[in-house]
Amino acid sequence: MSATRIVRPRKSVPNGIWGMALFLCAEVSLFGLLIGTYFYLDFIARSWPPYGIKAPSVVLPLVATAVLLATLVPIRFASRAARADRRGAAITAIAIALVIQGCYLALQILLFAHDLNQFSPQRSAYGSIYFTLLAVHHAHVLLGILLDLALIWMLATRGLTEYWKVGVRVLALYWYVVGGVAVFVVLTQLAPSL
Amino acid sequence: MATVVTPRGQEHVDRLERIWAPRPGLLGWLTTTDHKRIGILYFFTSLAFFGAGGVEALLIRTQLIGPNGHLLSPQAYDEVFTMHGITMIFLFVIPMTTGAFGNYLLPLMIGARDMAFPRMNALSYWVFLCSGIFMYAGLATGHAPNAGWFDYVPLASKTYDPGLNIDFYGFGLIFNGIASTAAAINFIVTIFKMRAPGMSLNRMPLFCYAFLAAAGALLFALPSLSLAALFLELDRQLGFQFFSSSRGGDALLWQNLFWIFGHPEVYIIILPAFGIATSIIPTFTHRRMVMYPLVALAEVMVAFLGFGVWAHHMFTVGLATITTVYFAGASLIIVIPSAIQIFSWIATILTGTPEFKTPLLFIVGFILYFILGGLSGITLAAIPFDQQVHDSYYVVAHFHFVIFGAAVYPILGGMYYWFPKLTGRMYNEWWGKASFWLTFIGTFVTFFPMHIVGIDGMPRRNYTYPADMGWTFLNMLESIGAYILTAGLVMIVVNLFVSYFRGPRAGNDPWEGDTLEWTTTSPPPPYNFPVIPTVTSPYALWDDKDREHDNRRLERGEGLLDAGHQTPASTVQDAELDEILSMPSYSAWPPITALTLSGLFAMLLLGHYFIAAGFVVLGLLALLAWHRNEADA
Repeated sequence: MSATRIVRPRKSVPNGIWGMALFLCAEVSLFGLLIGTYFYLDFIARSWPPYGIKAPSVVLPLVATAVLLATLVPIRFASRAARADRRGAAITAIAIALVIQGCYLALQILLFAHDLNQFSPQRSAYGSIYFTLLAVHHAHVLLGILLDLALIWMLATRGLTEYWKVGVRVLALYWYVVGGVAVFVVLTQLAPSL
Repeated sequence: MATVVTPRGQEHVDRLERIWAPRPGLLGWLTTTDHKRIGILYFFTSLAFFGAGGVEALLIRTQLIGPNGHLLSPQAYDEVFTMHGITMIFLFVIPMTTGAFGNYLLPLMIGARDMAFPRMNALSYWVFLCSGIFMYAGLATGHAPNAGWFDYVPLASKTYDPGLNIDFYGFGLIFNGIASTAAAINFIVTIFKMRAPGMSLNRMPLFCYAFLAAAGALLFALPSLSLAALFLELDRQLGFQFFSSSRGGDALLWQNLFWIFGHPEVYIIILPAFGIATSIIPTFTHRRMVMYPLVALAEVMVAFLGFGVWAHHMFTVGLATITTVYFAGASLIIVIPSAIQIFSWIATILTGTPEFKTPLLFIVGFILYFILGGLSGITLAAIPFDQQVHDSYYVVAHFHFVIFGAAVYPILGGMYYWFPKLTGRMYNEWWGKASFWLTFIGTFVTFFPMHIVGIDGMPRRNYTYPADMGWTFLNMLESIGAYILTAGLVMIVVNLFVSYFRGPRAGNDPWEGDTLEWTTTSPPPPYNFPVIPTVTSPYALWDDKDREHDNRRLERGEGLLDAGHQTPASTVQDAELDEILSMPSYSAWPPITALTLSGLFAMLLLGHYFIAAGFVVLGLLALLAWHRNEADA
């Protein structure tokens, strides 16, 4: 829904942002339940992780998460640039974030594959929740990257219309929440080693 | 209140007619984004599923009419009662209340011209339809879900249920959950942002509060069901270990996740019914609701407290005493907001001048059965008693009074109440009352004896029972009641069907209703209101001055918003006019996106993961194409 005519500077948050905020409420509930499941299984287990599985190594996942959080800066910049009608700056900022987020995802996929070689989701409930939690999180990062790409394409071909201004703000909101969730996910993932 | 349209006003109306003219024919229905058309599609689809669920109920009752019945094999019986539960909850009550009633009425009640996200609204409908067909495809191919609607593991695990049956359940519910989540988001944004200027939160009809509460609960409850179903399918299809205790998993994890969704779900089902009741009662008692703010708060409280009671479904699984006591206490506390509403309804009826027409009769029936179901609910919150009657017909009696007696009665009453608005015709009052009494008696005769056989020890979900248990007479009575009930429901459908063709003209406002949907024509035009209505109280239509003011504005051409498909958006609390939105008029992408999702879930079901990934890509491309149209007018 684009606003064709604004009566005066908008007082309330546009519908698109409300929609994304509510969608993210559902997604945050999903992650809350995933993390809840992780600790539920942890509390009923005799040893966590089970014998034969090494506790996760801490450094790389934490560094990766810090890198992901750093991309919130260009995302924030893109959102402000869009509101100030600076299309080029918005596209550039999203593109910078996109590259870093892509590297983050690639690294996480490598780590995921590495972990899969160490232990399997089919052998223990620990493996099941460990890989499911991470896979769901990575899927959200992937979705965010696709949103970045879509936004860059739309801004480049369609211009910074009122509709896509809201779009950039919606994208930013998505990344803030996924970034926040990443912190909880990584702390849960590393809980046995912390 | 009749609208007097002058020639000047008529010119403005004609202009709006041209702008909002719907696409003709089948294509118009397939690509529609009009909330009223989507509401009607929801209505007929969920009514068809109600018919299917009703046939399943009749099969169950016919099987149990006497001891040692053999109409259905044990396997078929399992599938039938499971599909009955799934159909009634996910494919009938939720889509009927939020989908049909909410979609059609909510924008009309708040004085908007459409939902906040009209295309996503269409997507919700098509996804719901496809997910319903998906689950019924299981029944058609002989693989219907068969482990009960709450589908406990380990019975539902691959070891004990190796066929595709449970996979239809798992993927079907994730699929269905997408539709409900999208609908919930849409309702909340619509209620918050699309209200006519002047309809601040304290002037919003109570109907909208009920739908707001239900949508909020839906939004936060559904992830739990989707996650539980995801775990289940990972266990079943890829051999994960979430629910297998030998590998560190836990069967109770399923029960917890399911009921974290499942109990709020009960309130999601019943809150819209509360909303319908609070619309019908003021109209037929000719007075405002008693305690408007308390009722609004109670509706929101019910949805909120509903999240804290889930383990009362699990009193027999061996939780710690302290846990069960907490959940028993919480289950008793939730009585308070429910009782506030019951007192308010009763007080409004007693202090008003009630006219007992068919819709109000159904609401009185609803109040009676809700009290009955509520009282048996209090007995079930008592832990020792619950442990005795757990999984017996006593529980079946309880939740049928709550879900059928309390949630479906307002739907039936609402069908009569809004029939003149949807069709422009009146139903037949005599047959309406007759159908109420038949349904009312049928409900009682079907479900009340279940309390007694339950206390006598008859377990639920058994496909038959021996002759010497002393359950024969009461079971026969229940089955006869089920036929009476069916006759009542058929009478409602026939009454409305015949009235659609033969009923007398109803006019805009046959009831002297209190909410905005009655100001516009019956059926409403595609743009709902020629001028965006003025609102100064929660009973907008009883403010005659505002309506006269609107007529004058129509004549002057003020507030027409006729530069395209336009509707106002307002601020959240005070509903000040904030911006004029341009809405999409039609889009083919929602049904196409729903089709790609159908392909995705079908391939996941069959284990073709690469093809499934292909459908994901197609779905994303469809979404991209969808957004290339920025709400073209």
